[in-house]
Amino acid sequence: MKNILELIKEKRIYFDGGTGTVLQNMGLPAGQPPELWNIAYPEKIIALHNMYFDAGANIVKTNTFGINRDKFENYGELIRAGIKCAKTAADGRSDAYVAFDMGPTGQLLEPLGQMKFEEAVSVFADNVKVASECGADLILIETMNDSYETKAAVIAAKENCDLPIFVTNVYDESGKLMTGANPEAMIAMLEGLGVSALGMNCSLGPDIMLGIIGKFREYSSIPVIVNPNAGLPEVRNGETVYNINADEFSDYMAEIAEQGGTILGGCCGTTPEFIEKMIKKTESLPYVLPDKKEHTCVSSYTHAVFVHKEPVLIGERINPTGKSKLKEALRSGNLNYILNEGIKQTDAGAHILDVNVGLPEIDETEMMIKCVSALQAVTDLPLQIDSTNYDTLEKAVRIYNGKPLVNSVNGTEESMKNVFPIVRKYGGALIALTIDEKGIPDTAQGRADIARKIIECADTYGISKNNIIVDPLALTISSNPESAVVTLESIRLIRDLGVKTSLGISNISFGLPQRDLITSTFYSTALQCGLNCAIMNPFSSAMMNVYYAYRALNMLDNGCVDYISYASSDINAPSKQTEIKSEETLRSSIARGLKDSAVIQTEKLLEDNTEPLDIINNHIIPALNEIGTAFEQKKAYLPQLLMSADAATSAFECVKKKIPSEQSDKSKAIVLATVKGDIHDIGKNIVKVLMESYGFTVYDLGRDVPPEEIKQCALEHNCKLVGLSALMTTTVPSMAETIKLLNETDRNIKIMVGGAVLNQEYADMIGADFYGADAMDSVRYAESFYGGKK
Amino acid sequence: MVSLLYDSEVRSLKSSDIFMINAKAESVEINKNELAQRLKVERGYTNDVIESCKRSLLGIINYKCVYIRTNVDLSGGNVCDFGFMKAYSKNLYKNLHGCSEAFVMALTAGIAVDRELAKLKITSQAEYFITDAAASAAIDSFCDYACNIMGDGLDCAVRFSPGYGDLSLTLQKPLLERLNAQSLLGISLSPSYLMTPMKSITAVMGIKNEKHT
Repeated sequence: MKNILELIKEKRIYFDGGTGTVLQNMGLPAGQPPELWNIAYPEKIIALHNMYFDAGANIVKTNTFGINRDKFENYGELIRAGIKCAKTAADGRSDAYVAFDMGPTGQLLEPLGQMKFEEAVSVFADNVKVASECGADLILIETMNDSYETKAAVIAAKENCDLPIFVTNVYDESGKLMTGANPEAMIAMLEGLGVSALGMNCSLGPDIMLGIIGKFREYSSIPVIVNPNAGLPEVRNGETVYNINADEFSDYMAEIAEQGGTILGGCCGTTPEFIEKMIKKTESLPYVLPDKKEHTCVSSYTHAVFVHKEPVLIGERINPTGKSKLKEALRSGNLNYILNEGIKQTDAGAHILDVNVGLPEIDETEMMIKCVSALQAVTDLPLQIDSTNYDTLEKAVRIYNGKPLVNSVNGTEESMKNVFPIVRKYGGALIALTIDEKGIPDTAQGRADIARKIIECADTYGISKNNIIVDPLALTISSNPESAVVTLESIRLIRDLGVKTSLGISNISFGLPQRDLITSTFYSTALQCGLNCAIMNPFSSAMMNVYYAYRALNMLDNGCVDYISYASSDINAPSKQTEIKSEETLRSSIARGLKDSAVIQTEKLLEDNTEPLDIINNHIIPALNEIGTAFEQKKAYLPQLLMSADAATSAFECVKKKIPSEQSDKSKAIVLATVKGDIHDIGKNIVKVLMESYGFTVYDLGRDVPPEEIKQCALEHNCKLVGLSALMTTTVPSMAETIKLLNETDRNIKIMVGGAVLNQEYADMIGADFYGADAMDSVRYAESFYGGKK
Repeated sequence: MVSLLYDSEVRSLKSSDIFMINAKAESVEINKNELAQRLKVERGYTNDVIESCKRSLLGIINYKCVYIRTNVDLSGGNVCDFGFMKAYSKNLYKNLHGCSEAFVMALTAGIAVDRELAKLKITSQAEYFITDAAASAAIDSFCDYACNIMGDGLDCAVRFSPGYGDLSLTLQKPLLERLNAQSLLGISLSPSYLMTPMKSITAVMGIKNEKHT
């Protein structure tokens, strides 16, 4: 029998239809897992497959959708039995294939869910190992409604068998997966991972899929699978009515075939009748395989960013070079600072974020993985993984949710030999630097020659040139006067090679005063020369001015809509200063919870040479005490207290910039956690923000934290004050267990507890040192704890 | 299997007895008492930040509910047997007194709310707290909204969720599986029985045998 990938080149092939629908007609009770029938009633499963083969299907899906090691102890046995049924039915038929069917695990992956990415890979890997031993013809990963889990399944399949991998996802009416990815994002990621066919299944009827198929036709270079449901049944007057019957289904599928659906089949609600009628309607239609698309793109878990006519802004702020606060954040593991930089750049209009966390004194790989994962919870922009460490690159690209931009490869043999295999395996677009063993050529032609060498070498690894973005390296004109001219000429030459270009724009002005002036002018010129991507500072208004003006001038901004919106909100907007009432002071700003005003008042005080510590002690703390007292006297509400804390924290951040680090008070510290089994962290977070605004260092372990982890943190930081929170009665025992462990570890550790279900009596019963009825209570205790100690 | 249906439309899902109710954010009025309670403010109190958080939340919320109507057998002492799951709970047993049928449901406000909260946690604790409170009040209000639709014309018991009283959280597993909630709503359950998206609810609502007069 032909390899299925060969057969696809010759003719349209067909999947089977719904499994549950037919099995329920055979007597499967609602709520019972159909997979159990692989062992209990194999003859019925074989009959199901035979019905579909007889109807004309080429591929049957094994009855293994819900099987994995977490759901069934005997998963291996069930898979083997399932594949055996399908193979028995296929035996002796021509063009009849068995797809090992893998559905989702049922768990959402980190950072929003609980399951670790590698755990998901391992669960799928166990399935694939069994399937490949049993002689399945291909792996079908289907009904996936999350891009990250899809990636885990594909990696598991790639690493554990050589079978073709087909993937179908579930898109809803908005044309997106449940967790947000659109077809462009999924196509970018899946083609990068090297799957053989992709598409959509389940969820909707063919009518809705018809509205999405255009995206696949436009962006996919590989065969497109369309396996819809049989529409949606409605209950009318107590009767179930299907809105699409087999004839209508086949009409829709014919249209889908004409619009670019390559491999067709059905999902829930479709029966052999649907498949038979669909084949009759579509087999004589012209069959065209998708053509190879030349898009250069990267993706996140929601969307793809295309590098084409539109200039692409790559935010450069998460890179420690020359940024002392970021360095400090990396050393102390302060992810919040890094995440905040990510959010601010997203809000400022960046399209992609560069992530570089390389510092000699930290474990770069570990930090990169943490940052990439955490950033993907707070920003939906694609990330540019930036490291000179190959291990860091590989691990980060692996766990990245989407198709990343990889920064970078260069023209040295060593770099190409190490970086290309990573991109080949996981997918990605690459920044290619025009430098090789001899350094950076002085001439534009020299740089273009290196670019050509990289493109040719990439091709031998199967990486096409649309995935290469060449950076001809802008060096500062302060020491290389010809640098700008050579770089711009390089852009023109490299463009002629048919690849996209990028520049680290800010380098051009290094060492000069008023850098923005030079940088933005250079950016404008580079854009005119055809530059595609700029690694730049999105907070620089000079740069953003060029970006918006260039788009308006080059017919990229229809009706100048974006420019007008930018110009009216930014340049012409009244400055914050004028919005702030003149009688506002720092103290009143904090007490009233006015964040922007608090920052402005703090800056004013600093300009007037007020000592930073005086600002804290004479303005910030009294303001917090004022609102804190009002809160205790029930004259202010919790949201107001928190708004004040936000304002105080912003003011505090301004002041901290002026305090030499040796002066800052690190002696007041507390470990905070919501105990194991509890995800309610709002109370704990309120305590945290108040503690921070009062100048405490807070080690926040988050929610659902095991006792051992809390103990380790207290020991590591030699912190003698621990705050525990619980909201559910069911998790109070877990709090008691944590207290017991901490007491056994060190009797000097004081433990304060709080949370909706607790009261003084409970707290005493479980051995806590203090019960905080509210956040202010906790702050007062912590203050007295450290005050007492001093 | 998923369809966005608004307001009072109810649809059954193919080849099963699962029904779905979806609602636009603006169709569900957030219960003011519930919101005030969660914000820890007096009913009616608001300010600019609270209003702006509510507006942003309504822009991202995506209410979805799936439910089944099933028999419940209360013949064993303190055991509520739903066929596909048995609940050993005095409190639920008492709650279902006089019922031989019940609605079993799962509802969510969608994963975008989790993403927004993750972001606010970094940028503003006040907005995080307010949005979290508003989202909790919102999903609770949607639950009332959905219960009103499914219980229309019936006399129903007060809805009851795993985690209330002595009703174990472990019940969420068979419940979510039976409702195919992972595939239909995107609800997943961690090994410690915590649901994602965070603003999700599972519940049981008994149907009293005697029709309310």
